[in-house]
Amino acid sequence: MMEFLASLEASSFGTWLRESGSIWAYPAVLTMHTLGMGVLVGASTVLDLRLLGCAPKIPLGPLDKLFPIMWAGFWLNAITGVALFVADATTKGTTTVFMVKLGIIVLSVIVLFDIKRRVYGREGSTVVTPQARALAAASLALWFAAIATGRYMAYV
Amino acid sequence: MAPTLDAFALWLRATPISEAIRVLPWLWPVCEILHFTGLCVLVGVVGFFDLRLLGLFRRVPLAAAWSLVPWGKFGFGLAALTGVLFFVGAPDQYVNNVAFYAKLIFLFVAGANALFFEWAFKEKVKADDLDAVAPRALRTMAVVSIISWFFVIYWGRMLPFVGNAF
Repeated sequence: MMEFLASLEASSFGTWLRESGSIWAYPAVLTMHTLGMGVLVGASTVLDLRLLGCAPKIPLGPLDKLFPIMWAGFWLNAITGVALFVADATTKGTTTVFMVKLGIIVLSVIVLFDIKRRVYGREGSTVVTPQARALAAASLALWFAAIATGRYMAYV
Repeated sequence: MAPTLDAFALWLRATPISEAIRVLPWLWPVCEILHFTGLCVLVGVVGFFDLRLLGLFRRVPLAAAWSLVPWGKFGFGLAALTGVLFFVGAPDQYVNNVAFYAKLIFLFVAGANALFFEWAFKEKVKADDLDAVAPRALRTMAVVSIISWFFVIYWGRMLPFVGNAF
């Protein structure tokens, strides 16, 4: 495993991203990762707030269109996240907090799918059940935890 | 840069409040987490409203979309408060950092754009009556908002790479 991580880190892409010093390498990828976070967590937060009863005048139906925006942010971050991992594989791959962060993201995405299924699953009607509200609260908590662990990685 | 800026940074760094910010080792990371959380809430609410102005989410009444704005202000307040704390805690990281001034410029553009929108159109938005306003003006403000907030994030991220901040 360690050899695999070391070979990732030593790959030409990993080396370039980490050491080129170009503003288009590590800094640009990190900026895209921050942008993807804002888009994914931001769009998810708008839906969560609505489900929790803030802004009740917003009709739920059209908010279905938030999901493609969330997926765009998710994939941007999956791709930039893999790149950032490759550049720093032996450290990140052996850090507990990174594993915790990945676990939190997996849970967050499962919660997103569950919200979509429960709120938009039935044809033509949208309902906010107590379960959907609980999922919205869990979603906000999980995103906060993902941000917290992600930021914390800068200090380990 | 200017010696007065360096002198100001030295003076601010020596104040008790600046020292207090640096003494607590957990305070800086916690504020970073809150700074990014504020960013997400702000980007979500502002992005949603801007996309509504640009013609997405048409079935959401503008007045209803506007009701999320206090949450956007909450996100901004969280980021602004922690941002000021970073500056007070380590002013030497920012006063000579070109990324910091670039971020401030875009923050000013984004803020002025948002304040102008609120000042000029809030009542019309709340009454769901923006039909009289030229759509091009509203779309322009939405685009200015999205671009300027993007560059606030961009230059914020550049702080440690262009200059010496972390």
